[in-house]
Amino acid sequence: MLRLGNPVRRLRAAMLVMAIVLSLFAGRLVQLQGLDSKVLQAKAVQQRVQPEILPARRGAITDAEGHELAVTVEAREVYVDPKDVDPAKRELVATTLARELNKPKQDIDAALAKVTQRYIPLARDVEPLRAKRIMGFKLRGVGTKETYRRLYPGKSLAGGLLGFTGVDGRGLEGLESAYNDVLAGRDGKQSIELGANRQRIPMTRSQREAPVPGRDVRLTIDRDLQWAAEQTLARRVNDTGARSGSVIVMDVLTGRILAMANAPQADLNDWQSAPAEDRANRAVSEIFEPGSTNKVITAAAAMEAGVVTPDTVFRVPDHIQCADRQLKDAHPHAPESMTFTGVLAESSNVGTIMAAEKISSQRLYDMFRSFGFGASSGSRVPGEQDGLLPRWETWSGSQRCTIAYGQGISVTALQMASVYQTIANGGVRVTPTIVAGTTDAHGAFVPAPAAKGTRVISETTARSIALMLEAAVGHEGTGEEASIEGYRVAGKTGTAMRYDEKCAGYCGYTATFVGFAPADQPRLMALAVIQDPKKDHYGGAVAAPVFKDVMTFALKNRKIPPTGTKAPAMVLRPAG
Amino acid sequence: MTTLGPLSVRLPSARATRRRASAGVSLPALGLVLPAVALSAIGLLLVWSATRGRPGSTLPERQAVSVGIGLVLMWAVSRIDLRLLRAYVPLFYLLGLAGLVAVLTPLGRTINGSHAWIVLGDGLQFQPSEFAKAATLLALATILGELRDGERRPGAGAVLLALVVAAVPVGLIALQPDHGTALVFLVLTFGMIAVSGAPKRWFAAFAAAGAAGVLLVWRLDLIRPYQLQRLMVLADPDADPMGMGYNATQSRIAIGSGGLLGKGLFHGEQTAGHFVPEQHTDFIFTVAGEELGFVGGACVILLMLALLWRGLWIAARSPSPFGTVLAGGVVCWLAFQTFVNVGMTMGLLPVAGLPLPFVSYGGSATISSLAAVGLLAAVNRRTRTPRIGQSRRGA
Repeated sequence: MLRLGNPVRRLRAAMLVMAIVLSLFAGRLVQLQGLDSKVLQAKAVQQRVQPEILPARRGAITDAEGHELAVTVEAREVYVDPKDVDPAKRELVATTLARELNKPKQDIDAALAKVTQRYIPLARDVEPLRAKRIMGFKLRGVGTKETYRRLYPGKSLAGGLLGFTGVDGRGLEGLESAYNDVLAGRDGKQSIELGANRQRIPMTRSQREAPVPGRDVRLTIDRDLQWAAEQTLARRVNDTGARSGSVIVMDVLTGRILAMANAPQADLNDWQSAPAEDRANRAVSEIFEPGSTNKVITAAAAMEAGVVTPDTVFRVPDHIQCADRQLKDAHPHAPESMTFTGVLAESSNVGTIMAAEKISSQRLYDMFRSFGFGASSGSRVPGEQDGLLPRWETWSGSQRCTIAYGQGISVTALQMASVYQTIANGGVRVTPTIVAGTTDAHGAFVPAPAAKGTRVISETTARSIALMLEAAVGHEGTGEEASIEGYRVAGKTGTAMRYDEKCAGYCGYTATFVGFAPADQPRLMALAVIQDPKKDHYGGAVAAPVFKDVMTFALKNRKIPPTGTKAPAMVLRPAG
Repeated sequence: MTTLGPLSVRLPSARATRRRASAGVSLPALGLVLPAVALSAIGLLLVWSATRGRPGSTLPERQAVSVGIGLVLMWAVSRIDLRLLRAYVPLFYLLGLAGLVAVLTPLGRTINGSHAWIVLGDGLQFQPSEFAKAATLLALATILGELRDGERRPGAGAVLLALVVAAVPVGLIALQPDHGTALVFLVLTFGMIAVSGAPKRWFAAFAAAGAAGVLLVWRLDLIRPYQLQRLMVLADPDADPMGMGYNATQSRIAIGSGGLLGKGLFHGEQTAGHFVPEQHTDFIFTVAGEELGFVGGACVILLMLALLWRGLWIAARSPSPFGTVLAGGVVCWLAFQTFVNVGMTMGLLPVAGLPLPFVSYGGSATISSLAAVGLLAAVNRRTRTPRIGQSRRGA
C-alpha cells in the first residue's frame, strides 16, 4: 500500500527512464557520427562545394603587324535565380531585363517561372557596363558572371580564313578551329563553398587553379592589303553579277600569303545569320577547273622536256580533232603561224594541245604533281581541298588534250597561286604559309619555321615562261587589262567552263587572272578568280582588273619600286 | 600515523560542513550548478558559432545577457526560503495567466509561426509561457505537496485541483498555438502528480483520457497536414529532402559530418553555411554535433544527465513533499524538453519547436531554466544531509 505511492521509487523509475532515453541518444550519436559519418560528410560536401570553371582568355589572331583581327574582350553573363526572385517583383524583373537585354519578355517570363531552378543564364556577351547598369537596379535573384566574348573588329575582314567560335568559346571553323589548341588556353577551376543562401561560407578554403590564357596567333596577312583586296573583289563580284570570287596575294620569295580574300563574306560577329557558303574560305575550299591559267604547266612540261622553246613555231588552226572530240580556240580564226610565246599570250587552246602532244601524258601528269596539284598545298590553311587530278593512266583520249588547257581537272585558287609563285620564284616552289608564328607563354613572339622551297622547274624555263607571261599582259595578249603603269607585269588569263552540280554539267564560267610583278624581278604574285560572272566572262575582262587594282595597291603597300627596265620585244608571230 | 589517518579523513568533511553552513553552497548544489553553468557556457559558444557571419547580429551578446540574468536569478531563487515563496504562489500563478492572456491580446506578437511573444520595446521581448511554466510548477507543487495532517499523498480533490490549475495555462498556450510548450505543461503535470505519490488509478485514467484524446483528434480531423507530414518525414527523412524533410536531413548531415572529434568550434562549414534552419535556437545541438563531434555531443548529453540526476537526488532527499514534488516537476520539465529537442535534431522524434534548456538561444527560456535550477538548489538548501538518512529510515 505504502510502496505503491512511494515517491522515491517513482523517482528511481524516472532516473531509469532518463538513463535509457539518454543512452538511446548516445547510440544514435554513435550511428550518425561514427557509422554514417562518411556518408553524411560526403553529402555535406556535395551540397556545399561548388565547382566553378574559370574561363581562360582566348588568344588574339592578328595580322603580320599585330593588328587584331579576332580579339577576346571581357563580357558578363546575366543569369537569374528564379527561386530567389520575389514573386511580387517578378513582373518588374522581367520587364527590366527584357528592356536591358533586348530580349523578348516572354522568354524571361518563362525563365522566371522555373521557380525550382537556381541558375538560368539569360544572356552571355553582355557588355560589362550594361551588366553593371542591370545590377544597379538591385533586383534580387539577378546576377552576373564574368565571361569573355570573341570580337572581330574587321567584321567580315578575312572572315572565311579566320572562322569563328561557338557560344562555348571553342573555334568552330577556319583558323579559330584549326588553332583552337593554341588560342584557347586552359580553363581554370575553382571550387568555393557556398552556404544555404548561396553566399560564400566565410573562412572556408577555396581551391583555385588559375586559368592559362590562350596564346596569340600572328598571321602573314597584311590587314590593309586584305581590306583593299576584299573591297576590290566584292565590288567586282557585284558589278559582274558573279556568284562569288577569291583573291590571293602572296610574297613570291617567302610563300607568305599577304591577302586571302573571298566574296561574299559573312560578318563574323553575326555568323549565325549568314549562309554556310559565305562563311567558307573559298580560296582554299572551292575547287574549279582552272582553264587557260593551267597552260603554263603544259608549257613548262614541254620546255623542260626540251621539245619546245618560246620561239617554236606552230601552225595553229582554230580547231583540232582529239580522239572523239573536236576542240576549239575561243575565237574562230584562219590557220596561222604562231610562236609558242604567241600561243600562250593569245591563249590558244589548239596551240597548247599541239605542244602537249609532243610530250607523254605521264610527263604532263608529273609536272602537275610537281606544281602541287592533286594534293594540299601544305599551307595549313584550314579547310583546304586537294582538288581533282586523275592519274594519267585514266585520262581519256580527249581529256589528255583538255587537261593541257585546264579543263578536266580541278584545283583550288591557292594551288593555282602556288604555281605562279613557283614560276615567279625562278622555278622554286615555296610552301604557302598563312601563320607567321605564335606567342609563347610569356607573350614573346615565336616565329613559325620558314617554309621550305622545292625546285620544280629550271630557272631558265621559269624565266622563259615569265617572259612569255609578260607578253600575255602586252598589247597583243589576253591580259592587257592587268597591266600596271610603270611596272612590268607577267600574268595569264583563264576562262574556263564551270562545272556546276546544280545543273549537272557545265553552266557559266570561271574567270581568272593570275600573275606577278615586277615581271623581271618578281616580288608579289596575285590571283583573282570570279565564279560565274553574268556580265562578260573572259578572265581578261572580268578578273584582270581586280588583279590590277590589288597588285597596284600591294606594290605600294610593300613599297616595291618599279625595276625601271623595259620588257624585251616578244615575237608572237613569226615574221612574214 | 595511525591516529593521524582518521583525523585527516574527518577534517575535510568537517570543513565542508562548515563551508556549507557559512556560504550556503552545498556539494549537491555544486553538482547542480556546475552542469547548468557549463551547459550555458557551451550554449553561448554554440550560439556565437551558429550566428557568426550574420551581419549586425547581436544574438551572442543578447544570449550572454540572458545567461547573466539567469545566473543571478538562479542564485537569488536558491537563497529564497521556500516557505516564504509558497505564500506568493497564487500571485505568481495569476501573473503567469495574465501574461498568457496578454499574448492573445494585440500585445502579442508572432515570431517563427508561434504567437507566443510580447514585445516591450526595441529588441526587448519575452515569452510569457516560460514564466507561466515556473508559476504553474510552483502552483502544482503547492497543491500536491501541501499535505494535510495524516496524509501521505494527495487526495482526489488535490489531484483534480492540480488538473484544473494546469488546464488553464495549457488551454491558453494551445490557443497561441504552441503545442510543444503545451505538451511540456502536460508532461510536467503528469510527472508531478506521479512524484506526489498519487494512486496508480489516476494514471490509468490519464492513459484512457490520452487515448480518447488521440482518437478524438483523429476522428475530428484536427491533426494538421504539416503535423502528419512531420511524422512521415520522421519515418523517411529522404522522402522530401528539400521540403518537409529539409530540417531533418540537414540536421543529420550537420551532426554526422562532425565525426568523432568534430571540426572544431567555429570551424563547422555546415553551420557557417547556415544549412540548418533555426540552428541557434531549436537546432543548436547540431552545432555541437558538427563542431564538437561525438565527444562534444556526448558531453552535452552527460552534463544534462548529471544535472537531471542531481535534480532527482534532491527530490528524493527533500524532507517535505512540497520540495519533492517541486524538484520532480523541474526535472520533468528539463528532461522532457531535452528529450524532445535532442531526439528531434537526431531524427528520432518529429520536429517540434522546443528549445534545448540552457543551450538554445532564447532569453525567456534560458532565464526560466536557470531559475528552475535555482528552485532545485532552494529545495536542496532545506535538506540537511543527516536528516536525509533519518527521513528515509522513518519512511
